[in-house]
This record gives sequence, C-alpha cells and structure tokens, in this order.
Amino acid sequence: MKKNAMINRYRWWEMVLMYLGIALFLFFILAPFIEGFLVSLKPLGLLFSTPYKFFPENGSFAAYRTMWDSVPGFGRYIFNSFFISTVITIVVLVLVVPASYAFARIPFPGTGALLGAFLAVNMFSGAVLLIPLFRLMRSYGLLNTYWAMIVPGVAFLIPTAIWLLQTYMRRIPKELDEAAYVDGASHVYILRRVILPLAMPGIIVVAITTFIGAYAQQFIFALTFNSKTEFMPLPIGLFAYFGRQEVVWNELMAASFVGIAPAMILIFALQRYLVAGLTAGAVKQ
Amino acid sequence: MGQLTLTGVKKRFEELEVIHGIDLDIKDGEFIVFVGPSGCGKSTLLRMICGLEEISAGDCLIDGTRVNDLPPVKRGIAMVFQSYALYPHMTVFENIAFPLRVEKMPKAELTDRVTRAASVLQLDSRLHQKPGNLSGGQRQRVAIGRAIVREPSIFLFDEPLSNLDAALRAEMRIELTALHQKLKATMIYVTHDQVEAMTMADRIVVLDAGRISQVGAPLELYHTPDNLFVAGFIGNPRMNFIPATCLATSATGTRVELATGGTLTIPATRANATPGMSLTLGIRPEHLTLAPADTTLTITPTVVERLGVNTVAYADLPPIGTLSALLPGSAPIAPAQPVTLSFKATDCHLFDDQGQAFTRHVDTVTPVPEVAGA
Ligand SMILES: Nc1ncnc2c1ncn2[C@@H]1O[C@H](COP(=O)(O)OP(=O)(O)O)[C@@H](O)[C@H]1O
Ligand SMILES: [Mg+2]
Repeated sequence: MKKNAMINRYRWWEMVLMYLGIALFLFFILAPFIEGFLVSLKPLGLLFSTPYKFFPENGSFAAYRTMWDSVPGFGRYIFNSFFISTVITIVVLVLVVPASYAFARIPFPGTGALLGAFLAVNMFSGAVLLIPLFRLMRSYGLLNTYWAMIVPGVAFLIPTAIWLLQTYMRRIPKELDEAAYVDGASHVYILRRVILPLAMPGIIVVAITTFIGAYAQQFIFALTFNSKTEFMPLPIGLFAYFGRQEVVWNELMAASFVGIAPAMILIFALQRYLVAGLTAGAVKQ
Repeated sequence: MGQLTLTGVKKRFEELEVIHGIDLDIKDGEFIVFVGPSGCGKSTLLRMICGLEEISAGDCLIDGTRVNDLPPVKRGIAMVFQSYALYPHMTVFENIAFPLRVEKMPKAELTDRVTRAASVLQLDSRLHQKPGNLSGGQRQRVAIGRAIVREPSIFLFDEPLSNLDAALRAEMRIELTALHQKLKATMIYVTHDQVEAMTMADRIVVLDAGRISQVGAPLELYHTPDNLFVAGFIGNPRMNFIPATCLATSATGTRVELATGGTLTIPATRANATPGMSLTLGIRPEHLTLAPADTTLTITPTVVERLGVNTVAYADLPPIGTLSALLPGSAPIAPAQPVTLSFKATDCHLFDDQGQAFTRHVDTVTPVPEVAGA
C-alpha cells in the first residue's frame, strides 16, 4: 500500500493515540518476557531483596554460563524438544498435504462431516484423553520412547493443519488443475507440479504452526508417557532447576530463553516465505 | 483428423438439466463458434466435448469413435481457458512445455516443439519470463502455445478474449483466424460476443437455454434467422420488432398491417400463416433509411450517437418500445426532432406467433465459400 495515499493520512494526535494504544498492548504482552529477561541477568540474591528492583544494578550474563553446569543434561533436553517437534512437523506435513489436496479438490461423500469431526476433535484438549491414550501406548509398547511424545503430538496437530492447508488450497484457481488434467496430468502429477509449488506459502504456515504447537504441547505428553530422562524435552528439563531447597530463578529464566532460541531463529528464517503473492498472474483478474 | 459428432447430448447437474439434447456435426478443419447469452450452457457443452464434464446422456464421437469415457488427451483435444490458467511458478517455456513433460517427451524434441510454438506466437523473447510479468495479450498467447504444442486435432476455446481490452481483442481475433488457417485444425470457440462469432466462424451455433436455436454460416444467420431469438441475437444494434397482423397470404408474399400503422406486402411465406394471425415484423436498424421507400415510420429520437462512419438513433415508439436506426455517415437527425424513416418490404423479416421465421423469397444470401479440405 502506498504510504502517502489519502486513506493513510492521519492528524498528529491520531498518530499519538495509535502508538499509545500499540505501546499499551505490547507492554501487556511483552512485560513477562522483559521481566524474565531481567531476572536472568540478576544474581540470585538480588531477586529477593526488598524493595524489589526491576533493573539489575550489577547485571551479568553469568546465569547463561552456570545453567549448563547446574543441569548438565540441558543440551540434550533442547535437542529432544527440537527433535520431537521436527519429526512431528515432518510427519504432519507428509500426511496433511495429500489429505488437504483431497479435501480441497476431490469431491467425496462425507467431506463436510469429516472436516466437522476434525474441528470437534480439536475441542477436546489432550488432557481429557490422557488415560485412554496411556492405555493405548502401553498396549503398543510405546511408553518411554520418543514415539510416546511424537504419536499423540501428530494426532492432535493434524486437524488444525488440515483446516489451514485445505482452505489455502481451495484458493488456488481450479482451472489450473483442469488445464493440467486436460493436458494429461494425473492427480499425483498435478499435486506435485502445480498445487505443491503454489501452496508453498500455505505449507510453510502449516509447518510453523505445527512446529510451535508441537513445542508447546510436549509438556503434558512427556510428563505422562515418558519417564526416561534422556528422552525428556525442554519443558520438563526446566524442572531440573527446581532444586531441593530453592528454585534457581535466574538460571531457569536463562534456560527458558536459550531453550526457545532455536525455535525463534527457525521461525524468523522462514518468515519471508509467509509473504504470499506467489499466485500473481495465475489467472487474469 | 478432427471430425466431431454430437448426438442427443444432455447435461444434468443433480436434478437440473442445463443442456437438453444437442445434435451437431462438425467437419474436420472447421471453425465453429458457439454463441449465446450468458448462462445458456456454452461452457458446459464445451467442457463435455473436452472431457472435463461427464456427458449425462447422448454420445460424443470424434472421427467416428465414441469418446464419452475417454480423458481429454485420449480424445486428441486441447483447451484454452477463459482465465488463461497459466502456472504462475513456471516460466513461459515450462508453461508451454507442460503437456510434453506430462507425456515424458525426449528433451531435444520437446525444446524443438516449444521453440516452434513460441515463434508462431511471437513469444521467442519471453520464454524465460514468468507469466506474472506478461501483458494480457501475451498471457493469452502462452495459453494458446500450451494448446498447440501437443498438436491436437481439435482446439477448444472458452471465451479466450473476453478479458482483453477492445483493441487487443480485435488484434487477437485476427491472429486466431490466421492461426486456424495455418494449423488447419478443427476449432470450437465459445463466446458471447457476436462480433467474434460473425468475424471468425465458418459456422455459428446459436444456443438458447441449453438448446440449439440455429446453426449456419454467419451471413445465413444474419439474412435468414430461423426464429426471433436468433434474429434478435445476431446484429448490432439488434433488430427492431414491430407487432403486425396477417391480412392475406399468397404463394409469394404475406400482406400485413403494422401496429405502428400502414400495410405492406412482404415477400415471405409460411405454411401455417392465416389471415388474422398476429405476427412480428423484423427490420434491422441498418435497413431504415431517410430516403423514401415502401413504408414509413415517424419517430422522435431520444438519443443520437454519432460514430463518424454512421449514426445511431434511438427512439421510443409506444407499441414496440425502443426502436433503433443505423444511418450512414453523419445523418441529418437530432434528438427531439421528429423524423420520418422508410424501409423496404424486401428487407423485412416475418415471424409467426411462435416466433418461427417465414421463408424469405429474397435473394440476399451470398453463399459463403466452403471450408478448404472439408
Ligand atoms: N457445476 C455446476 N453445477 C450446477 N450448475 C451448473 C454448474 N455449472 C454450470 N451450471 C449451470 O449451467 C448453466 C450453464 O452454465 P454455463 O455453461 O457456464 O453457461 P455459459 O458458459 O453459456 O455462460 C447455468 O445455468 C449454470 O448455473
Ligand atoms: Mg461460460
């Protein structure tokens, strides 16, 4: 959009109000993060001083160093989180891409009912189903393996992913498929050569949301279905900073930031793909 | 070869029948235009011939073989879509090469074919661009290129020019006609634009609500429309219709009384015509003149359009609604000034109360030369 378009012109006080509003909301969202970051910079003793000081006087990044010593397995927890989320994302994509194509393009009885069912499944949180899931895992011998966290993770993330991607695929002009079909292409060929490249922004959105979802939901599955330390993901790993007598708050906060860093970097790297506009020129407007 | 026969072809969407039985024979190498108002079923009929839409009843035969259950490629058909349906992520080269890639053609032959198609369509210098960077006319040419690389025997076009501006449309019209002469393939072309139909077609198929209203060469439809629908659809501005009453019939003509006053004998007959029957007289705007002729009409123009080459006048004439007249050059005619127009009995069309045309006994139909190789 053009910056100097008439519709984008505001009076000075309108601008001030807008930025004030933005600042207010941002503060509410970011305050915990800022506070957490500041905590990670302070020495432990200072945290419980009264009066409480928000800004550390002699802040340092010491906690970012000591955290690795006090919980030696922390690197492994980060790797586990990353590994579990990555595998979940890949499995979800492999399943969801063809499924969305089918929902978007191949008319079959029960399309609506199935999509509705996916929404309904989404309304149950994993927690409600923990006990049946536990029994299921036990009978398949999946408890205390990576699969114990991957399988339910995939199952609970598929509905949202299908909804997102099939909506995106429906927006790709149907004439592109028809033209390919007239030229002799099969469904698989159309999916691979026409739909997949055009749905790439949508697929990346799905990949990111799935990855974040997998990162976030690990906690409950890891807690219930896994008791092996070496398979534990980050959220459980953070508990290691809850010592016997006291919680090492500064290291806990430092560990939290280090833990989400890989995910953040990944998301920022992929962000530019989120910009759509790949379909420009597909059909005349 | 690209000979196509439709027999009793029908299309139902669920309960709704939209094509009510089409019988049509298309010769190899013919340029056929399906024309009709929006929603009459042109696209549906074309998609059935193509193989994108199932044929609910009847048969579609190509060179004598029933193709109802064959996919488009097996029918030897290529289609150009209204929205060009280009793949935005592929270069022009890849777009044109797409059908050949599907059939896994060896690289050398593929490159050769694509380059040849591109040079026919003057796209040589654009081969490495993406469709998004092309103009509307160029995109349309890429879409046509994708159709011609496969060298099909039948081409289908669904309103391919409808989204171009008027100047470009006229240009592409000429290009398409030239392409047809060069490829000598059968082409079936759908449009709602009668200028495209009149200028490009060997034969026009006029569709009206899922039925064929008339099939014929452009000038045949112009001079001897079979019914009111075709008479009103072909010609621009459209034919004026004046209610009339049959006074007497003879072997050579019919004497009628016009609702606007006056009687005249029109050299047109129909077996079922009887005195007293209410008829419709049709007279094209271009057949109204300022010079005296067989009968007259006095009108007061409300709007006068001057196009330089001719002048169009529109007037409200109570019993018939709007009447239009197309006069050559800058005719001495002005809004709100009554003027008397005349027309000849030999230029008139007559239709019975069912809208069916009387046979005209006038020598106006100039025979259109047959298609070469037909
Ligand atoms: N997939 C469909 N389902 C139901 N009705 C349809 C479908 N496609 C077309 N129609 C109907 O068939 C009729 C003819 O449509 P169409 O062939 O697109 O007309 P045209 O191309 O002449 O404008 C229209 O009334 C349209 O509503
Ligand atoms: Mg149409």
